[in-house]
Amino acid sequence: MSAVTSLDDHYDVAVIGAGPAGLAAATVTATAGLSTVVLDDNPAPGGQVWRAVTTTPVQDRRVLGDDYWKGQEIVQAFQASGAKHALGAAVWSLSREREIGVSFGGGARMLEARRVVIASGALERPFPIPGWTLPGVMSVGGAQTLLKASGLVPGGRVVLAGAGPLLWLFAHQMLQAGGQIHAILDTSDRAGWRAALKHAMPFVTSPYLVKGLKLMAGVRRRVRLLTGVTSLAAGGRNKVEAVIFRQGSEGGQRMAADMLLLHQGVVPNVNLAMAAGVEHHWDAQQLCFVPVLDTFGGTGIEGVAIAGDGAGIAGAEAAVERGRLAGIAAVRALKGDTGKLPDETASRKVLAKYDGARAFLDTLYRPSRGFRIPAGDTIVCRCEEVTAQQVIDNVRIGCTGPNQLKSFLRCGMGPCQGRMCGLTVTELIAETRGVTPAEIGYYRLRPPVKPIALAELASMPKTESDVTAVVRI
Amino acid sequence: MAMTIQQRDYATPQRRDYDTVVVGGGLLGASIAWGLARGGERVALLDEGDTAIRASRANFALVWVQSKGLGMPEYAGWTIRSSDAWAGFAAEVTDVTGLDVAFERTGGFSLCLSEREVEHRAQTLKRLHNQPGIVDYDAKMMERSEIERMLPAIGPEVVGGSFCPLDGHVNSLRLLRALHTGLAKLGAHYLPDHRVDAIAQRAGGFALMTGAGEVRAAKVVLAAGNANMTLAPMVGLKAPMRPERGQIIVTERLQPFLKHPVVTVRQTDEGTVMIGDSKEEGITPEGTNMGIAAVEADRALRMFPVLKTVNVVRTWTGVRVMTQDGFPIYDQSETHPGAFVACCHSGVTLAANHALTIAPMIAKGALDLDIVGAFSAKRF
Repeated sequence: MSAVTSLDDHYDVAVIGAGPAGLAAATVTATAGLSTVVLDDNPAPGGQVWRAVTTTPVQDRRVLGDDYWKGQEIVQAFQASGAKHALGAAVWSLSREREIGVSFGGGARMLEARRVVIASGALERPFPIPGWTLPGVMSVGGAQTLLKASGLVPGGRVVLAGAGPLLWLFAHQMLQAGGQIHAILDTSDRAGWRAALKHAMPFVTSPYLVKGLKLMAGVRRRVRLLTGVTSLAAGGRNKVEAVIFRQGSEGGQRMAADMLLLHQGVVPNVNLAMAAGVEHHWDAQQLCFVPVLDTFGGTGIEGVAIAGDGAGIAGAEAAVERGRLAGIAAVRALKGDTGKLPDETASRKVLAKYDGARAFLDTLYRPSRGFRIPAGDTIVCRCEEVTAQQVIDNVRIGCTGPNQLKSFLRCGMGPCQGRMCGLTVTELIAETRGVTPAEIGYYRLRPPVKPIALAELASMPKTESDVTAVVRI
Repeated sequence: MAMTIQQRDYATPQRRDYDTVVVGGGLLGASIAWGLARGGERVALLDEGDTAIRASRANFALVWVQSKGLGMPEYAGWTIRSSDAWAGFAAEVTDVTGLDVAFERTGGFSLCLSEREVEHRAQTLKRLHNQPGIVDYDAKMMERSEIERMLPAIGPEVVGGSFCPLDGHVNSLRLLRALHTGLAKLGAHYLPDHRVDAIAQRAGGFALMTGAGEVRAAKVVLAAGNANMTLAPMVGLKAPMRPERGQIIVTERLQPFLKHPVVTVRQTDEGTVMIGDSKEEGITPEGTNMGIAAVEADRALRMFPVLKTVNVVRTWTGVRVMTQDGFPIYDQSETHPGAFVACCHSGVTLAANHALTIAPMIAKGALDLDIVGAFSAKRF
């Protein structure tokens, strides 16, 4: 059994995140004999894509599909590797010296590792439409979490809106689980198909194609699909009652709904890496910030690597290989070539296959401008209830970027630490100022990247000089 | 009052000649620019970009009197003057911008967690009070029982403390936003990404060389925080600085539980609780020292046990603008007439003075030495 109830002060390798990349990386380093710990705040291994794969109540394998159950193999290999797994361990800080701040078992503490692999995965891209804060509106990813972890299938008139592979996968899973979908509103741009065609060749030969088309066709047979949706709003007084939308340039339509599930793709979860000081750049293809990495996922910070979707969106299969590569690099750095390493070339071959296909998917499902950059009274920052117009007004009085905006509007200062508004704010400022998002940059992030109780922070070790910095008598 | 704000172009400022150019877009520079623009001057406010090191973004937001002025009695008088002017200034800001900066003068506390701390605190107040020329400002020691009547949430470890009825606090981020909002409405030009590299004396004034071009003005005010150290000698002034790091913790929002600010714990008008304040040598705000944060958290919990389960959402480190003796500098150049320098740690507390007292002096072209003569850098 790999689960631990206490943590050591030092490990050779600390892996943050127990999804595909983290499990694969830890399996490599632990198999090679390095003391390895995986820190993850979930109650079971698997990350988002294989959430609850060891514990899910959804035992009919057709519901969640083969790709989900494939996770079992990876989890089993991990559990046999000798790596330690701290379940429910929330990592809230990482320093350049590879000190990790973690909440575990009701207390906060620091631990150190010679190598750190950040495998904190992806987040859903914000989908700021009018009414997205109403009860009854949630993200497709959120709904999928409930299905995997607790077997919950939403009831009533459920409308899915947006674009991207996860939307179709969830629609399929929901139907397999016996759920009903009232309609799917497809916001993908029709021009996207034409643009995507030039990237089609690698896609045709990739593992995505057959699976993807089969899945979409299956859903389409059973659900009303409205395509070319160009505007979208949730209406209702105290909860969502209707979805208001347009198709192309046609007039507005109204569809009664009890639940609206939104999704327009996923983006790297950059909070921990950015707070640690890892350099990121704007990816104009994926429309998000991604870390600057070497071919093993190594960052500019000595001993810190990033693997999986946190290194740039590429999906679960690619995440496994990127995790292995980060693991291989850690073993070579700490032990040299031990002979107990997986085949690097094999991993790179698989990666090349998925990388080639990615450009097609990214172009096809590129979220359109109107769904990324809101206007008027639409809420941008949910925690602090800041609207798009307020952002625009404050840019006009001289806020050149997101950090000044934080001071002026508290935008991004709430408990989500900008996860739900960061990209929107960067793009909105860029558009208002007429410059690229790369020039605007992102929120400067600070620990704790996840909230911790004041009492936990107070219980951390303190030196004499820490005390005299505060108590000055 | 509604007023349209024009779309602006950051690359090229609307004009290049001003009555006064203020260097530094933080609370100090913005307050002085506010006062100048209110008085009808054509003002430019130069600033760095989005990620500049800004004390105004990192501060604790107290409008604070107690314990100010030990070692320089004039500083106590100057602080009280601003504290007294603050309510009027806050009203003026609201009047121009429609924004409420949440100024409150409720009186504030310094709390002690041991007899030793009580004794030290009492000594400090006594030494302060005994200085010749000090304005008496009614700060006094309080027993635990008396404090508990005003702050029912205090924990059993609070032994005593001091109270000063003049103390208060404000929403300092909203103040920064309000000053900038008002400056736009008053016709001042805010020029971000204009870091000043050099200043030259020209006929009729000054030319400031910046990364985004040259800006000219008849007068120049240096309000660039610790960077004044390098800027002041360019116009025949000096500003010896000794920057200091400080860390702050902020929690999620809670129901109001704290009616009076404590010097290290205050609840904002938005409900979050700010916890400070540490002092370390240092000139960069990079990196949070978790040990220091732990000491701050521990003391805040012992003062207010109700905070135990409250979530911390953020910590940050700021760099204090600190002169070498800790007191403000207001000075004018003898070799470069029309050049002024202003440095101070308490940009929030003194904002009212900067807008209402310092700015009109600068508009007239000379500091009134009867009021601010003690703060000349000649003392160094």
